[in-house]
This record gives sequence, C-alpha cells and structure tokens, in this order.
Amino acid sequence: MFVAIEDVSFSYPNTQAPALDRFTLDIKKGEVISILGRSGSGKSTILRLLAGLERPKNGRLVIQDETLFDDKTFLQPEKRGIGMVFQDYALFPHMTVGANIMFGLSDMKKADKKKRMREMLELVELEEYEKRYPHQLSGGQQQRVAIARAIAPNPHLILLDEPFSNLDAELQGKIRKDLREILKKANITSIFVTHDEKDAHILADRIVKLKDGKMDFVGRPCDMLDTFRQEAIAESEEVLKSKPVVHV
Amino acid sequence: MQRRLANFNIWTVGAVLIILMLFLPNLTIVTGFFTPSNDNWEHMKEFVLRQFVINSLILTLATAFFTILIGLSLAWLVAQYDFPFRRFLKWALILPLSIPPFIGAYTYHGILNFTGAIQTVLREGFGMELDPAYFDIMNLPGAIFIYTMFLYPYVYTITQVYLSEQSASLIESTRLLGKGPWRTFFQVVLPISRISIIAGASLVVLEVLNDYGVVKYYGIQTFTTAIFQSWFGLGDLDTSIKLAASLMGFVIVILLIEKLLRGRRQYSYFSTKVRPLQLIPLSGWKGFAAAGYGMLILSLGFFIPVIQLVDWTILTFGTIPMEEFMRYVQNSVFVAGLSAILIVAFALIVGNFARMVQGKYTKLLPKLTVLGYSIPGAVIAVAVVTAFVALDGYLAPLYLAIGLETTLVLSVSIVLLLAAYIIRFFAIGYNSIETGYDKIGTNFRDASRLLGAGPTKTFFKVDVPMMKGAIISGFILVFIDVLKEIPLTLILRPFNFDTLSTKAFQYASDEKIMEASQASLLIVGISALAIVIFYKILEKEMD
Repeated sequence: MFVAIEDVSFSYPNTQAPALDRFTLDIKKGEVISILGRSGSGKSTILRLLAGLERPKNGRLVIQDETLFDDKTFLQPEKRGIGMVFQDYALFPHMTVGANIMFGLSDMKKADKKKRMREMLELVELEEYEKRYPHQLSGGQQQRVAIARAIAPNPHLILLDEPFSNLDAELQGKIRKDLREILKKANITSIFVTHDEKDAHILADRIVKLKDGKMDFVGRPCDMLDTFRQEAIAESEEVLKSKPVVHV
Repeated sequence: MQRRLANFNIWTVGAVLIILMLFLPNLTIVTGFFTPSNDNWEHMKEFVLRQFVINSLILTLATAFFTILIGLSLAWLVAQYDFPFRRFLKWALILPLSIPPFIGAYTYHGILNFTGAIQTVLREGFGMELDPAYFDIMNLPGAIFIYTMFLYPYVYTITQVYLSEQSASLIESTRLLGKGPWRTFFQVVLPISRISIIAGASLVVLEVLNDYGVVKYYGIQTFTTAIFQSWFGLGDLDTSIKLAASLMGFVIVILLIEKLLRGRRQYSYFSTKVRPLQLIPLSGWKGFAAAGYGMLILSLGFFIPVIQLVDWTILTFGTIPMEEFMRYVQNSVFVAGLSAILIVAFALIVGNFARMVQGKYTKLLPKLTVLGYSIPGAVIAVAVVTAFVALDGYLAPLYLAIGLETTLVLSVSIVLLLAAYIIRFFAIGYNSIETGYDKIGTNFRDASRLLGAGPTKTFFKVDVPMMKGAIISGFILVFIDVLKEIPLTLILRPFNFDTLSTKAFQYASDEKIMEASQASLLIVGISALAIVIFYKILEKEMD
C-alpha cells in the first residue's frame, strides 16, 4: 500500500469525545480520495494528523514504507514530504506568486527552482502571474497558486482542505474539473476533504464517509449512491412516522 | 515523555529561559519579606507605614475617580456628538500622555510659584498681592491634579475606541426606545463601557503607584519614596525589600479588585463588524461648551506645560553645553533602543512559544511575564539588585579566576538597568506582538512547515515579515516608556550615566527648573511625535 493509516485515534485537548476513533484506510498510488462528512465529523482532523500538525493518540501512519508515526516515531511536518492546500490557501502575502511556489524548493539550484516554478505555473495556467502578489489575484487564481505551491516540491501525497468552499458556485464547477485534470496530470496521490457530495462524486476515485470520528462508508462514488438512496428513504420514513397529525 | 521530547527544541528552551528570567527576580521580594526584621522595619511599621498606606490610597482612589470623570465624559462627547474641533480633539486629547507626570509636576510648580507666570502677572499687571498659599500645588491635591491631567488619556482612549466602534447598535436602539441623552448615558453607556473604564482606570492606578518623580518632588510620603529612603537614606536594603513586598501586596489587592469588578465577563463583547456611531450635531452654545471643555482639558494637560517648557528652553538655551546635552540624548536613545529591541525579540520568542504549546498549565506560563508591568518600578529595582548581587556572588570565583579585582561586576553594569527595563516593560511589547500573532493565525506557519521549512526558517521567512506592523508598534511603545522612565533609571544606572529623564529630574530637584526644560521638551517632543504616528497607523488599519 502506498499510504497506510492504521487504527489511528485522536482527541483535541480539553475534550472528552474523540475527534477520530480507530480510523483505518489504505490508499493506492495516484488515487484521489475524498473524505466526506459534516462539520465536526473529524474529516479535517485526518488531514492534520497526516500532515503532522497534530499528533495521534495511537495508531500508525506510513507513506511509501516510511513510518511517519507510531509508538516510537513522530516525523516533524517539514520532513514528511506531504503537500497541503489550505481552506483559505495560506499564500504568504509578503511574497510574489513565484516566490510562494519556490518557497518549498529549498535544495535546488536557483535556475532549477525557476524552471520548476514556471512548469507549475504552466500546469495551473497562470504563466503571466509570476510577479503578482496574492492579493492581486481572484479567489480561483489564488487557489490554483496554492495547488501549484503544494505540488512543486513533488510530494508523495497532497492534502486539500475544503478546496471549493471559498469559491462562488459558478467557479466551483469549472475548478472541480480543472483540479481533477491537474491531479491526474501530475499523477499525485491526493486526499481532499469536503462536505459537498457533488465535489466528491465528480473528483474522487473513492469516497470515505465519516460520522462522529468513525468511518461510515467507503467505496466508489457509484456505490455510494445506493447507500445514499437507502438512507434517504429510511430517513423520510422516520420523519413521516414522527410527524404529528394536524387536524384543521 | 515521548510526546514532550518531540516538541523540545531550541525555541522552547529559549522561551522558558526568558520567562524565568522575567519572573524570578520578583520572587526574591516575596522571600525577602519573610526574613527576620530589623529595627528600621519595626520603627516604620509602628510609626509611618500607616501614613504611607493612607497617602497611597488617597492618591490612587482620587486619581482614579477624576480620570474616570474626565476620560469618560470626553470619550462620550467625542464618540456620540459632533461639535467644533471634534476631529482635532479626538486624537489630540491623547497628547497629555506624552508628558511624564514628573515633568508636568515641576512645570506647574514653576508656573504657579512666586516668580512664576501667574503670580508675576497678577502682581505686576494688576498690583494684586495674594497669599502664596493659594498657589501652592506641592501637596496631595496638587499631586492628584497632576496625575489626573496627564493620566486621564488611559481611560479616554480605551473607552472612546470602545464607544465609537462597538456600541452603535446598543446606543441606537436606546435612542429608538425614546430615552434622552442623560438616561442613555447612565442606563446604557456607563454599564456597557464598564470593562473599558476599569481597564483604563487600573492602568492609571498602577501608574500612580509606580510614580516616584511627582511624590518625591512634591514631598509626599508614599510607599515608593519610603523604599528609596530606607535604601539610600538608611542604607537598609532589607527594609526596602519588606516595603516593596507590602507595596506588591497592595498591587495584588488592586488586581484582584479589578478582576472582581469585571465580574464574570472577563472579556468584553467585541463584535467583529465595526460600525461607527451616527453623530448627533450639537449646535449653538452646546457645541461651544463641548469644544470649550475639550480645549480646557487639552490646554491644562498639554498646551500650557508645553508653552512653559518652550519658554524656559528659549531662556536657558546654551547654558548646558551642547556636547554634554548630546551625551544625554545618546544615552537615552541607547538604553531605550536597546531595551526595545531586546523586548521585541524576546516577545517574538515567547509569543511563538505561547501559540505552539498546548495544555492548560503551559499556556499559563507566558502570562507570568506580563505581571512585570503591574509591579512598580521601585519594587523591580529592589528585586533586580537583590537578584544580581546574588548572581555576582555565584560568579565571584569566575571573576577572580579571570583576574578581576572586584566581585561586583554585573550588579554595577548597564546590564542591571537593561534587565530592569525588560522586566518592567516586557508586557507593553508582548501585547503588541501577541496581537500580531493572533492576527496572522497558524495557517501560514503550518503551510511553511509542510513546504519543508523548519521552525527557525519559518520564523524568519514567514512570521517575522508578516508581523512588521506589530513589531514596529511594540518597539515604539517600549521606546517611549523607557525614555520617560524615572525611578529605575535613577537607581540602577551605572556611575555617571545620565539620560534625558534623569537629568531633567535632577535639575528640577535642584530647583533649576528652567534648565530642566530642555531635556524635558525633547522627551515630550519625541513622545508626542510617536503618539501621533502611532495614532495615524492605527487609524489607517481601522479603515
């Protein structure tokens, strides 16, 4: 397996309920996984644990035979080779687009850095924006820069936290398709978190549904439709049952 | 243990060391209180301690009352009404803060004494010979007047910002419910601005307890003067420590009262949407009355003393050799600049630590450092000297080994003074830096780490450049405070080391008040300029 998450649990300090409860998932190389769930279901926690921004209570995290976390190891985030696209993009406001993308390319010659940066800009179709600052870009452009920045160092895995939540509806449709294309072109394994089923269906190879820190469903998008339908039927029956009869 | 080790790095070590350095000297005061007492202390306790407590109480309570009266009324006028000169007064009313109270104290004494402007005009212009006692300002009411005129801006600024920006919907709904201005004020404005009033007033009270210059010059006995007296007059540091500990007890009581008054509402409600209050125009005599009131306070707190200082400076210009004067300027800029740089650097490290650590108790650690600002300078002076003498004691073998002839090295050097400044003013710089960290959040740091930059590279490449504004304002605030500082500088400076403020104070104490004006004017000028710059930056950020 390329990425292995084994039996991972986590709870935030000063809280009782676990944010993630014995979560296990294997991911193949090049696969696009979508984690679906309501807010508070623990979906963003998985990303933060993989990235090394939080430390699991127990379990094991492995990428390409390298252990990121177990009883004895905790690899710092900068050593993990994982890229992340933040919900608000977190582009460094004091650096140009070019400098933002080159920030993660530390062990390279200057000319190589520039070359790689230009490749990335080409990939996200923003060639002319190298010298601009983040605040001079639209929301959609900022997001593409964030993706380019995360992919540039060639990470094993890229994590995307609610990648579409800050975009207006019209843009979302276009960017969903673009994103899938970019990810597939770069052949990067990726996990993205969303609360929107449509995102998951269009983008993902596999969908993981989370509920209260536990896995609720895992499968291909088409499998999910069935369970989803059944759930909806069950729910509506319940509503009908509990509804008091109103006499006029 | 596993968990901790992974987070253990040079940044954590640095932060913990700084916190300890800021906090430990104050512990020497607490332990010193419990050492066996000597005759001096017994004598003081029996005969004079009561008077210190009463004087300090009268000064703090009366000053708190009057600063609230003036600060709140001005804040309310500026926030709610439109009248002539309102825009100018809005920021100019902060200016009295640029005059250190001791400079105000001797300036007013100079204006009011027998040879001063007022009595001279009355005598020579109108032939009136009035009892000089009418003009005596060197007493308790006089000190209260001085504190009030130069410290009210603490209450004014905090309350005015709150009322202008946060209270619009509350006050507008009161108006819609048909309440007149007086009922609006007493039933709504006063209760909702309670938190900002208390915050401002406790700063005023702490400043009064910290003050040495005014009470010393006016000959009023308080804790602070007693600490110096027993230390230098009697050469009895032990008694000073006991007095300092008692004063610290006093301060702790005040901090507890503040907490109590704030009640369960530890933090006032701040809505993120800033909506300015619609101003009510005051026309005719009402408008003039409002403008006149604001102008009167501003004149008393700023224009009159500044004009007097300018006058004296012109009269005495050249009496102090330029070369000597420039040395004071250099010394002032050196100590103020260096301590501001150190404080900002330390604040960046501790602030970074504060946002990274988790856990209830470790989160409390950085809060300890802020205590210094509530501890009066005299107490810090005693604490720092005690700690440094002990430190020199430990290092004595080392000094002798490297061939020094004395074992008092650190405790007579400028390091002592810098350490004291850092302890006292750390909170000022830290507040600014902490706000900066809050504003940028943790996402940029996380992004940088995930792009392969370690904590150190992240700090210099991402955090520091993004916090430029917070760093500059922290530096300015500390710089001004050190520039104006009196008790610490006076006691802890190395031999023959004079700054603008110690020189101004010495000239004034020697009744050479005209000569004191040049150094004073420079201090006031730099501070006023910094306040104006600061205000403009703040206003820009709000837009």
